[in-house]
Amino acid sequence: MRRSLPTWIVALSALVARDVVSDPTPTPTLPDYRYFRALSVDLLGRVPTRDELAALERPDFRVDAWIDAHLGGAAYAERLRRIYMDLLRLESSPTTHYDRPAVSLRHGLIEGPHGKLDVYYRNGQRRTDPLIDGTFCFTIAETGLKVVPDGAPQGQARPITQQLLDARTVEIKPWWLYADYRERAPHDRAGPDWTARYPGLDLFLPLFVDPDQTPTTTIRVCREEAQQTPNGRIVVTGQVPRADLVIPPGRWSYPPFDSTYAQAHVGEVISCLSGTGFQSSPECGCGVGLERCIPNGPAGFSLAVKAPLGVDTPFLAIPRTASSWLAQWWAEEAKHFLDDIFASDRDVRDLLTSPGTMINGPLAQFYRALAGATCCGTGTELGYAEPEPLFEPDRVPAEILPIETARWTAIPDRGPHAAGLLTMPVFLMKYGPRRARAHVLSTAFLCKDFVAEAAALTPSTEPDLTRRPGCASCHTTLEPMAAYFARVTEADWTYLPPRQFPLSIARCAGTYPKKPPGCNAYYDPAFATATSSSLRGAYAAPAHADAGPVGLAEEITRAPEFAACVVQNVAQSLLGRSLTPADDRWKIDLAQRFVDGGYRMRALVRAILTSPRYRDVNDRKPAVPR
Amino acid sequence: MIGEAALVGLVGLVGLGGCGRPDVVEPSAPAPLPAHHAFTLDATPKQHRRMVPPEAFLRAYLQWFGGLAPLEVQRRAKVDGLFDTWKDYLAALGLPDYQVDTPRMTESNTIMLATLGRLAEALCVRAVEHDLVAHPPIDQRAIFAFDEPDGDLTLAAFTPRFDVLHRTFLSYPAALAPADRAARFYALFREVASHHAGGGALTPARTAWAAICTALVQHPETELY
Repeated sequence: MRRSLPTWIVALSALVARDVVSDPTPTPTLPDYRYFRALSVDLLGRVPTRDELAALERPDFRVDAWIDAHLGGAAYAERLRRIYMDLLRLESSPTTHYDRPAVSLRHGLIEGPHGKLDVYYRNGQRRTDPLIDGTFCFTIAETGLKVVPDGAPQGQARPITQQLLDARTVEIKPWWLYADYRERAPHDRAGPDWTARYPGLDLFLPLFVDPDQTPTTTIRVCREEAQQTPNGRIVVTGQVPRADLVIPPGRWSYPPFDSTYAQAHVGEVISCLSGTGFQSSPECGCGVGLERCIPNGPAGFSLAVKAPLGVDTPFLAIPRTASSWLAQWWAEEAKHFLDDIFASDRDVRDLLTSPGTMINGPLAQFYRALAGATCCGTGTELGYAEPEPLFEPDRVPAEILPIETARWTAIPDRGPHAAGLLTMPVFLMKYGPRRARAHVLSTAFLCKDFVAEAAALTPSTEPDLTRRPGCASCHTTLEPMAAYFARVTEADWTYLPPRQFPLSIARCAGTYPKKPPGCNAYYDPAFATATSSSLRGAYAAPAHADAGPVGLAEEITRAPEFAACVVQNVAQSLLGRSLTPADDRWKIDLAQRFVDGGYRMRALVRAILTSPRYRDVNDRKPAVPR
Repeated sequence: MIGEAALVGLVGLVGLGGCGRPDVVEPSAPAPLPAHHAFTLDATPKQHRRMVPPEAFLRAYLQWFGGLAPLEVQRRAKVDGLFDTWKDYLAALGLPDYQVDTPRMTESNTIMLATLGRLAEALCVRAVEHDLVAHPPIDQRAIFAFDEPDGDLTLAAFTPRFDVLHRTFLSYPAALAPADRAARFYALFREVASHHAGGGALTPARTAWAAICTALVQHPETELY
């Protein structure tokens, strides 16, 4: 750019042209314009406007100052984010939904005393009445309908009485309908003004009208689901799986079975935030304004399915259920986290090591009230009934409402198990298997892929992939990395604490297939001995399992390849080509400066943008297209 | 035949040469070597120009459309079948789809070029309607920020107006382009105008401006950087 030319060139130009040009400043050349255009594309996220070109042509324009002024804006952060999003692809597949029974509010359309009526319920909700325990809160005999979890009710509807309706259900003003749902008498109902008050919130009509098309002011919910208590008492009913079990009269499905955990802890108090609480206590409901649940229908939440410029600038938005909506916000969490690191020029190692994150309303609701629902499955058989979370719910500010989609809040510390992107739901769901998690981290942050050796694959019964011929060349490295995720359930975010899940356990010893419940889910029979069994995924590096994702983040960021890999990824993206051996010296220099500068991206990007490699990158074909 | 006298003279010359003092090169003070000129050899790797990332293209496109939201652009552009829906175009522009692990395209293809052409046409026809037909003040025009002269447009009158479009899409003055570019686009302008002399929704000149605009949006220098 002309203003950064050495002064002697400027002086010489003036000398040569003194008879014809009074201003010693040369007019921008075509390479100057092209350089400015490239800078605009990379730092503004678009081509320059005519006004910006006019600014370039002014004598006082300084390209260095211009670059400095734009190394930190939203467009700059988005440009860098794109590099890592291209590498990590942190969006869940379209089929990913958070549709766990413990949080998913379904609705059954029945014939009420005054017409058709939607009644919300949870499939699996424990109830004291054995005829409706674990299912819809009305029997077929009462409504004429078989209300199934997925699909339309079956049968010939008949009206229920008001008395029965009031006995089994209550009216609620839920969180998606009232901003002040936590108040005793909510009145701030969703309306046109919400668009201005809650920017970015886009809810669709079906959520706000009753089946008769009148505005929805309250919804009917089964009485148990409407409970607000944070804890419930564990109950048992005597129902256990056995060969001669028959469906009790008056029901169309088996009642819930008592888990081993419930039998051992009957009468004890359990948190209603856990899946265990939902499964074993009729006292556990959806909380105040149903905030511990999300409606499975109708599809009233706007999902930005095509949003290359961000969910606030959708190119296509369609109505979906809240379970799909949540998956969208998982991805947005990662994007806002990346943006915050780049825009604030934080230490890039925070991508992996930071205990903090960024959340908005839906994510606040998720971490506060919904995430624990995946815990603890058959882990209860091993004594794990309440989650030790990756993101501790009490770290979520209570004042953030679920509908505040555009309000993003920095959370400085999620808890001791949190590690940057590594413990975010979108990463853990996108890369479900622990090996997939290790693999993508290796390629994205160490620039090292796993390429199999040219070895013949021979039949083998060796369960240890670090030894099996043909597998060992990759898995010698991959298995110890994957072991860092041994304590995070695959395709989930449930943490497996050492207290309930020791690395080796005698209870699950032996190689026979039929073991106590929970053993094979968490302990690998392939690595069991006569006296103990090994935690799944930990065999190659037990210490890594205990170090968890936090340990992996430290290992990766300490590796000498980390800085060089950051440089390579950023340089390749900005140059638009792969680095070659001719770039090695430059890359080493940049990496050293990057490390010396405290792993800050801004200085690195500046060094690349002002380098001849960037300025002159695309002049292989000097001829200008006509 | 050589004569005797000549032969004698020749022998004498030989004799003189053979008996004379041998040649001696006198030593002299060493002269400095001529100065070297240092040249910087640009050894940096080069390659063809990059595609403007589709995100940047889309942002520019929305900007050219007057800063409208994508769905509003779609609504306006759909009139008369100029545009379908964004979802029909986005994948063709080379955007990655992280949900299904479709990577970003780094090279163009025929479908992409056709898509860009379609988007260009939608933009330019609507821009003519907004800027030239509706005729708002110059500073409120996103694309055609110039007035339309009365009568036939000469090359001299065409060139500065063409420069406005050239700067808008290619980001540099037309004067720095190959020398015949303005003339070639002027020829295109006249040709399109002549083909639409029979009348239509737009005047021949405005149709021609839409064509110039469309050609520039599809120009390699718009889509590359």
